[in-house]
Amino acid sequence: MSERKPKNIFHQGPIPATFIAESIQKHSTQIGIGGHSIFLGQVRADVGENGKVKAIDFTAFEEMAIEKMHSIREDIFSKYPITCMHVHHSLGEVLAGEICLFVFSSSAHRKEAMEACNEIVERLKAELPIWGREILEDDSHQWKVNK
Amino acid sequence: MRVHLTLFGQLSDITGKREMILDDIPDTATLLETLNTMYPQMANTKFAMALNTKVIKENTILHGDNNIALLPPFSGG
Repeated sequence: MSERKPKNIFHQGPIPATFIAESIQKHSTQIGIGGHSIFLGQVRADVGENGKVKAIDFTAFEEMAIEKMHSIREDIFSKYPITCMHVHHSLGEVLAGEICLFVFSSSAHRKEAMEACNEIVERLKAELPIWGREILEDDSHQWKVNK
Repeated sequence: MRVHLTLFGQLSDITGKREMILDDIPDTATLLETLNTMYPQMANTKFAMALNTKVIKENTILHGDNNIALLPPFSGG
């Protein structure tokens, strides 16, 4: 397990659909895989008492987030028989409707890929030092709260 | 001891700064007292403290140069 190196998960701006498509395509050579599970987080135009969210500006304590994601990755690989997992999170401004999180896990059978993907999403939301500054339509801002 | 402080999330709004250098800070409890005096609003904000990327919960004596980050509740994803 120790041969895996920490990977940079951060992506400046929104994650384009073409990037996701290319990532799927790259797995076609790995013919032992029978199932992929993908989670895409999209910026939602929440309407609150202060107004409507038009974008989220993400910042992170990158060094700590990358270390933490590495330890989550090690835990997930030891818990589930998955072939691979990939995590990409946006930094900077992402407009409502754009993708800010891409989690991709693959295994021989669907159940493990789906369970691993779900656990990665739950853990990264709770454990990675990332903050979302919600920009409202009147250009004021508020800090996102994860539920 | 010298502290290189990085402030994230709403703490950067409260202080108007992303980074700060503070001198003569012997331990993390003193750091918190100093910050609460400078920015009384910080007392109403929940945050964790990381020393060189490791979260610390107890008062910690500082040695040499220290990179400390203040982390409000995370909201990634």
